[in-house]
Amino acid sequence: MEKILVIGSGPIVIGQAAEFDYAGTQACRSLREEGYSVVLVNSNPATIMTDEETADRIYIEPLTPEFCERVIERERPWGLLATLGGQTGLNLASQLADLGVLERYGVKLLGTPLEAIRKAEDRELFRSLMREIREPVPESWIVESEAELEALLDTAPYPCIIRPAYTLGGTGGGVARDRDELWETGRKGLKLSMRSQLMVERSLLGWKEVEYEVMRDSKGNCITVCNMENLDPMGVHTGDSIVVAPSQTLSDIEYHMLRTASLKIIQSLGIEGGCNVQLAVNPKSFDYYVIEVNPRVSRSSALASKATGYPIARVAAKIAVGKTLDEIENAVTKTTKACFEPALDYVVVKIPRWPFDKFRTGDRRLSTQMKATGEVMAIARSFEEAMMKAVRGLEVASKDLTHPDTSLSDEALEDRLRHPTDERLWHLAEALRRGWTVKRVNEVSRVDPWFIEKLLGLVEVESRLVGLRTEPSAAREVFREALDSGFDLSTVARLSGLAPEEALDSASVRLEPSYKMVDTCAGEFESDTPYYYATREVEDDAAVPQNPISVL
Amino acid sequence: MKPTVVVLGSGPIRIGQGIEFDYSCVHCVWALQELGYRAVIVNNNPETVSTDFDTADALYFEPVTLHDVAAVVRHERAEGVVVQFGGQTAINLAQPLEQAGIRVLGTSPRSIAMAEDRGQFDRILADLGVRRPPGAAVNSLDDGLRAADRIGYPVLVRPSFVLGGRAMEIVRDSSSFAEFYREAESASPGQPVLVDSYLAGTEAEIDVVSDGEDTLVPGLMEHIERAGVHSGDSMAVYPPIGLNPEVQWEMVETGRLIARELKVKGLMNIQFAVVDGQVYVIEVNPRASRTVPYLSKVTGVPMVQLATRAMVGRSLAQEGYGSGLWARHEGQSRVIGRQEFLALGEPISPVYAVKAPVFSFQKLGKVDPALGPEMKSTGEVLGIDRTFEGALYKALVASGVTFRSRGQVILTVAEGDKAHAVGIGKLLVDQGYSIGATQGTHDVLSRSGIPSEPLKKIQEGSPNLLDRLMAGQVSLMVNTPGPAGQETEHAQRIRRACIETGVACVTNIDTATALVRALTLYASPLEASCMTLGEYLATPQKVN
Repeated sequence: MEKILVIGSGPIVIGQAAEFDYAGTQACRSLREEGYSVVLVNSNPATIMTDEETADRIYIEPLTPEFCERVIERERPWGLLATLGGQTGLNLASQLADLGVLERYGVKLLGTPLEAIRKAEDRELFRSLMREIREPVPESWIVESEAELEALLDTAPYPCIIRPAYTLGGTGGGVARDRDELWETGRKGLKLSMRSQLMVERSLLGWKEVEYEVMRDSKGNCITVCNMENLDPMGVHTGDSIVVAPSQTLSDIEYHMLRTASLKIIQSLGIEGGCNVQLAVNPKSFDYYVIEVNPRVSRSSALASKATGYPIARVAAKIAVGKTLDEIENAVTKTTKACFEPALDYVVVKIPRWPFDKFRTGDRRLSTQMKATGEVMAIARSFEEAMMKAVRGLEVASKDLTHPDTSLSDEALEDRLRHPTDERLWHLAEALRRGWTVKRVNEVSRVDPWFIEKLLGLVEVESRLVGLRTEPSAAREVFREALDSGFDLSTVARLSGLAPEEALDSASVRLEPSYKMVDTCAGEFESDTPYYYATREVEDDAAVPQNPISVL
Repeated sequence: MKPTVVVLGSGPIRIGQGIEFDYSCVHCVWALQELGYRAVIVNNNPETVSTDFDTADALYFEPVTLHDVAAVVRHERAEGVVVQFGGQTAINLAQPLEQAGIRVLGTSPRSIAMAEDRGQFDRILADLGVRRPPGAAVNSLDDGLRAADRIGYPVLVRPSFVLGGRAMEIVRDSSSFAEFYREAESASPGQPVLVDSYLAGTEAEIDVVSDGEDTLVPGLMEHIERAGVHSGDSMAVYPPIGLNPEVQWEMVETGRLIARELKVKGLMNIQFAVVDGQVYVIEVNPRASRTVPYLSKVTGVPMVQLATRAMVGRSLAQEGYGSGLWARHEGQSRVIGRQEFLALGEPISPVYAVKAPVFSFQKLGKVDPALGPEMKSTGEVLGIDRTFEGALYKALVASGVTFRSRGQVILTVAEGDKAHAVGIGKLLVDQGYSIGATQGTHDVLSRSGIPSEPLKKIQEGSPNLLDRLMAGQVSLMVNTPGPAGQETEHAQRIRRACIETGVACVTNIDTATALVRALTLYASPLEASCMTLGEYLATPQKVN
């Protein structure tokens, strides 16, 4: 039996969490299904992938080139699969290749070729490839002297972002709205930078941020698994953004324009497996820029897998050993193939979970550096319901959109909306509660008006619930509305001061939710995957076992 | 038709509640399936294996809250729900679910509440004759001050019912008591604040599996750092290296007593402090802890599986285990009793396994990397080897504690740690490292004849420590903080600067002492072995 070495992602750190155990475990199983023996290296013992049930030979050893070489020397694997262990796995694979280890022991790198990975990860290589295939990338300049800075003043697109290289904690950077600001901030940045170097880049602050999860096999077949839209506009790391799938505010033309771009990119890179494409879209025109490509399984692909039911890592592993999308079975439906693009008949909301309940002195502002340790996802038939479910699942101080601290002044609130923190969602709701218009909230926060409208609807339901305290006669109607919008019984009771179970007889309003199935195909084909979500609808997809008899 | 059991997941990953709980939930599902149950998962974390569509017989992607869980249980007409493996998230639902008429499998919600109620639990321990540090649960600052005076400073002040030691602080005198009391109070409003005697001893912990009668201890873990560092942030070694066998057995016996008293069916974790050979219980968690995967893997005991079986009425004896300590010795694995353990005279495992915490400070600006009673790590790694030093070396390297090829090792340690600096400095110099030290540490080293270059602190002018760091002339930093509230912000700035320049920064003197024990392996890494987990477990003890 041929051996394949799989490299895990090591310890959980911000930006590299449990998603790689999920992806790695799926991949190991997938490879074993194909008849391979799996050798696994990971230094993190708290993983399913390091279980005897998952891999054949398990090494709990440090993820360094030295230890990996020793594993390779002992095991002599035929292939190495590195695109499932996050950036750690990928970096190790490149190091092993650079050190000549793979060549020395005749190990074949499976999946996306290193060449393609470098093209995707190296700034300059990526930019030139994008120019070749005529996909737009945001303009940027490296500045290494005051003279170069001066020369740029007339040509730079304003606003632009200044990032000094090699300073502590990114100090000295900032946004320049005009040539004076660029000159001022740029000169300071040059002084602060240990190598007198800074990057000036077109600012896309306030643009929509959209991601596409795409897959490609060695024969060049490609599909999009799903697209996702960030509620937070550009400027906040995707890992720190509230993400919605599928996108909610793109027109059909935009959706297809970005899908085509993503497929073109994965094709031109020659990815063999999964890949994540991040794009920025101008909310006022059809302009867009390609921001970044992750040539591997990522946090976003774990989310896309759970959001659609499509097992990206499982399919990517099969592609890595030469299978093509039309040959791989869709393990959810068991009646279709992996080349079918999933369809969603529900909305998914993801909210990050931040560690600031622990780190009270930490800097809570969100920017391009990810700070969340984890995330929750919720599925429902409407955005409102999914949002409320996600919020109460976060296990933070507030179980809904109300916030324990409402003492912020209007000025402070405006500042928080402009410079978002981990509490952005509650700040948006608070602004709406104070009667700010959707337009004003949008202008300050740059969050798309569609999302703000939806939050406004939830804030209004909230206020109707509070109104029941003085006018309880409308209880039945308001309760029904609240439950349909995703409020749970305890929030309804807390806001209204009434016990909803008593006010609602089961004949008039059903208290129990219905359960719907996530089947990857919106019901188009038969599927019997027992993957369910609760929602406020009448019809139920979840078959309930009848009359179980047993004594525990 | 198979009976259905609902297993609760642990929700989003946060500090104090990580991937370990996903591991336990998945194993619980597998164990239930083996027993012929239909196992159903409720969880809302998209990053996990437990929410993969083919892990359980059914997956409900729902928030882990009372109403959402209760609706699934009713919909599934489940026999019961398992709350032990989903961390504090799931265990907190034990009582509310039971009050909603839902059966909780395993340790009863009443026992869970008993273990978490300070007053009740103190009485139980007293009845069992188990020591715990003197302390009190108080509801006002005045009561707190009185309690602290009675107990004697230093005291540990912390809120009740929070995870991962949030707002927990070691208070040295009455002048700073009020500040930390207020913090603890606001972290868990309406709940009493706990004031305990702070025991500066060795910490250790055990995870036990119990069926209500018999109690199996798969292993004991000794912490490398002394009390005062959160257990999630300390390094730990299995089997213990510095605890005498009588003390170890007292922990095993304490585990058995508490498990029987609480009628534990499933897992329980107990943390101990050992001071002058006396064993004190400092914390009991009536659920799966974060060390369960680590201990399961290095002992070979399928802890979650046994716990799940115990929950549905299978005894440990039926499973071929029983009461006692798990030992792998002379090629055999078995449960041993006190006599046999004390007669053993050598470690009960053919390998050492060292757990080390991993932090994400690079992503979190303004957070002080110094270790303390509040947990800060986001993940962990394990180093396994036939020798303690080998396991230590691997754990350190895997967690990113490495020497840069350029520059000096810098020592700048708190007053109370200065005596230890001598031993650390000597080993570093013996191995050929050159040392830089701030004045106080330099003086201590000089008095013992250990050469070091005196360096300025930030407040003493330039060129100073910070300049050295920025110039890339620091290979590794040992910087231990003084008592809470008495430290200059400059010391914090140095630690932050290490994070931002990518220099490894050791902030606890015990970690530093462990680090120098592994120095010879840093010099010749090939002395560490490299084997599969299965091979380690099968290897006989290396004879030194």
